[in-house]
Amino acid sequence: MPGASRVLAWLAAIVAASALAFWLGGYATDVYRKMLIWIALALSYNFLFGIAGQVAFSHFAFAGVGAYAVVILAHKIGLPFGIAFIGALALCALLAYIVALPATRLEGFYLALATLAFSQLVLVVIDEGGSLTGGTGGIANYRLPPVLGFAIRGPWYTVLLVLLVALTLWTLVRLDHSAFGRACRAIRDNAVAAAAMGVDVRRVKVLAFTLTSTLAGLAGIAYAYVDNVINPSVFGLENIFLLLFMIIIGGSGSHLGAIIGAIVVYLAPFLLEPIVGHGFLVVFGVLVVLTILFQPAGLAGLLTWRAARQAT
Amino acid sequence: MSSCRLSCWAVAALLAVQTASASAQDTIKIGVITDRVASAKFYAEPVTRGVELGAKVLNDKGGALGKKLQLIIEDDQNKPDVSAAKARKLVDDGVAAIVSNTGSPATQQAQTVSLETRTLHLTPANSADTLTTLLDNPYFFQTGPLASIQLATLMAYTKSRGFKAVAIVRDNSALSQSFADSFRQGLDKVGIKVALEEVIPQGATSAVANLQKVRAEKVDAILQAGVLGPEMLQFFRAYQQLGMKEPILGSYNLSIPAYLTMAKDLMEGVVFVDAFDLDKPEAKLFADVYVKEYGEPPSSLPAYGWDGIRLLALAMEKAGSLDKEKLRAAMQSTTSFVGAIGAKGASWGFRDGKRTGFDPQGAVVRVIKDNKHGPVVYAGQK
Amino acid sequence: MEDLPELIVSATASGCIYALVALAYLLILRPTSVINFAIGEWAATGAFIGVAVLTPLAWPRLEGPYWLALVAVLVILGLLGWLVEVVTVRPLIRRGAGITSPILALLGVLVIFRESLTMLFGADPLPSPPPFGFKRVALGPFAGASQQFLIIGATFAVFVAVWLFFERTVWGRAFEAVALNRRAAALIGINLRRVTALAFAAGAMVAGLAGLLMTPLTSAHYMMGLPLAIQGFTALVIGGVGRVEGALLGGLLLAFVEQLGARYLPIPSGLTLGFPFVLLIVFLFLRPGGLIAPREAC
Repeated sequence: MPGASRVLAWLAAIVAASALAFWLGGYATDVYRKMLIWIALALSYNFLFGIAGQVAFSHFAFAGVGAYAVVILAHKIGLPFGIAFIGALALCALLAYIVALPATRLEGFYLALATLAFSQLVLVVIDEGGSLTGGTGGIANYRLPPVLGFAIRGPWYTVLLVLLVALTLWTLVRLDHSAFGRACRAIRDNAVAAAAMGVDVRRVKVLAFTLTSTLAGLAGIAYAYVDNVINPSVFGLENIFLLLFMIIIGGSGSHLGAIIGAIVVYLAPFLLEPIVGHGFLVVFGVLVVLTILFQPAGLAGLLTWRAARQAT
Repeated sequence: MSSCRLSCWAVAALLAVQTASASAQDTIKIGVITDRVASAKFYAEPVTRGVELGAKVLNDKGGALGKKLQLIIEDDQNKPDVSAAKARKLVDDGVAAIVSNTGSPATQQAQTVSLETRTLHLTPANSADTLTTLLDNPYFFQTGPLASIQLATLMAYTKSRGFKAVAIVRDNSALSQSFADSFRQGLDKVGIKVALEEVIPQGATSAVANLQKVRAEKVDAILQAGVLGPEMLQFFRAYQQLGMKEPILGSYNLSIPAYLTMAKDLMEGVVFVDAFDLDKPEAKLFADVYVKEYGEPPSSLPAYGWDGIRLLALAMEKAGSLDKEKLRAAMQSTTSFVGAIGAKGASWGFRDGKRTGFDPQGAVVRVIKDNKHGPVVYAGQK
Repeated sequence: MEDLPELIVSATASGCIYALVALAYLLILRPTSVINFAIGEWAATGAFIGVAVLTPLAWPRLEGPYWLALVAVLVILGLLGWLVEVVTVRPLIRRGAGITSPILALLGVLVIFRESLTMLFGADPLPSPPPFGFKRVALGPFAGASQQFLIIGATFAVFVAVWLFFERTVWGRAFEAVALNRRAAALIGINLRRVTALAFAAGAMVAGLAGLLMTPLTSAHYMMGLPLAIQGFTALVIGGVGRVEGALLGGLLLAFVEQLGARYLPIPSGLTLGFPFVLLIVFLFLRPGGLIAPREAC
């Protein structure tokens, strides 16, 4: 689609998604906000897992690092918010880089386990951090300070989250369509062939890991101000499985797939809970197995397949 | 003929609609957030059962403010962000108050909602001291036995034994860590040294290393700080295996009957804190009602829920309406409610503007004998 | 240092559990290159079957003899392992879908198993009685619970049996051949499907056995699978994927570091939780082949 109408389409989507924020009540806003954060996380994880081919279990750990860093810097140590924000992002990027350097030497599931071990270590540090991190009880009693004189509250915070998703999506789409994105896909499909074609495999892998983990940290920072409470439990193992399932069910490697997968997997429990109670997780497990067996392109694959069929 | 039938149907339909909408106004909705499936289910479920029983009995007597109480129960799976979401859902559903029967971090996160929407929020059984201190939320009230009170009661009971140094054993859950922190502060206050704090992590297959370390420190007693489930079993196994003899003092989660099954024959002589004295008339009344309804005698946990819902009803009657500010003020001004929970002579009250209602003299000490919770051997902190 | 012998018994018993889980991974990994993370849930299944057969706490409340529990665990887990292989792994391997797909599908299986266990047995931990009672047994200075000695004995028996299987039987050699070179093995007539099915069934049985053995010490609860899966995998990485003995060595090393560290290192107890993860990271990066070198192809 030509440039101007594409920009218009983006703007229209952002405005529509933001307008929704002013229309929803308390509970629906909460659901919508948390869904937006999951979408942001799913988008960056999709790039790491689906496009760059790195099976990593550390995504939520970096979200946690971002969240805790900004809250500790801004509210425990008392730095101005702008500095705390940048500091938190910088810390995420630095930590991701340090982890990426050795981690990207590992393949397949070994990378998954190494990053899983790393994320569990982060949890241990948070749990045992005493009064700095609030331990297992977490930190509460803080609010987002006014940014540029404007106190971002209520529906405006939801709009901020919409912008976060838009920014994440835009960044990842640009990366995807660049030489960097092509290199990532080449490495995912066949690292040896990619190296033979002149791709600096190590550098691309490290960069992909660092960038997507920093985006996860950004989502974590946004999460910290949704309920104005953070505690270690949300950054644990359960949620990384859910994130992985979102990508698989939605269609790994596709941005649209990440969005669809996030929405479906996030909203399904609300619909299924009255019927099957806690058992909705079994449904996810079954869906994941079915998707891998029969429809590896996921739900997004279904949509594009139908669109292709209608076109003929 | 047909017009008569038509008008009859119309009248019937009108009546049905009217009674439907009228009955919707006839209830007071109270939200209950509980854990039905995850790590807090152990204690959340019995407390919720107590709330349900209390509501039922209150409704049999006419409810509150002339209307029946309707409980809307939500499951937060002991996940703090889900707990906050469920709290918002309950507020949207129009509840007059929220009862939190779940883990402490989840209750903490739900407080963001009760503060923002100015909704009366009660936790009948959570014992973390930080729930009323981390966030200054005037709408949040806590009637659970605070960890600090539990420790003080235990120390009063054992004062005559002259403990100088103790070990604290905990696991890595939020409840346990919070207990350990509170215990530590309380022990510092009475001048008892914490020689060592050992952590039995979730997923551990043996607590032998931890307890050997405790044994080597030669402490006077071991304080068990809210250790849950499988880790608790490891603790008792290792204790028995190592032939240890140090007295074990436990927090109120040892009053959960399920532990007696799990660690059968291993808990003889363990001293623990409870808040339930069956000799108290209100407790006996509650126990009788419970046995009639569920066919088995109650532990202390349902009694917390029972007292909680009755406290809420009392606040509603005192406020005379469901106005949020009036409810809050009515709750804050409750100073001597005698419930099923608490030692003889204790009462619930939010005195001096505090929002923690458990009577500092209200805890009791019991000893486990023959795989059963023995009788009360001490009460209060004197 | 009278603590040390007791600690050695405790660490050996824990190490044996880790070793069994590592062995379960290995039995599946070697012929198929699939890392089956659902192995922890299979161990949990074994634990719950034990409770159901031995105690009145779960249906069918048999309160039966120990051999019945053992047979039930082996049979049921063997069937489940085989079923999972047929339904989720075989179609993927047949399609040539690469290695990550079966691993991810097995993550879905993990969730299915765990939630099913919660729905069937509830969320409370359930204990089961040790077959030789709760006595404290002492072999010279080495003292521990009778169950710990049972675990050690059973594990060594299993490892000896598996080692003999691989070294001395035709089927075992077939396994090795498939592990070394799938295509060549198929060319010389080895039935790949049967080997894969047997690998999954055997892995499931060993995992179930680990769950059954550890339940008297830790109780059966629905959260037990994931920590076991991680601990078992760490043991596997430490010991090396190549040889059966590696699983045993890895498990013992992990448990010894954990427990000796918890007992003797002067750091706060809460931080000792990080040991297994530090070990995993160290071995993954510095010595990915593990401690025991794999057998060379001849």
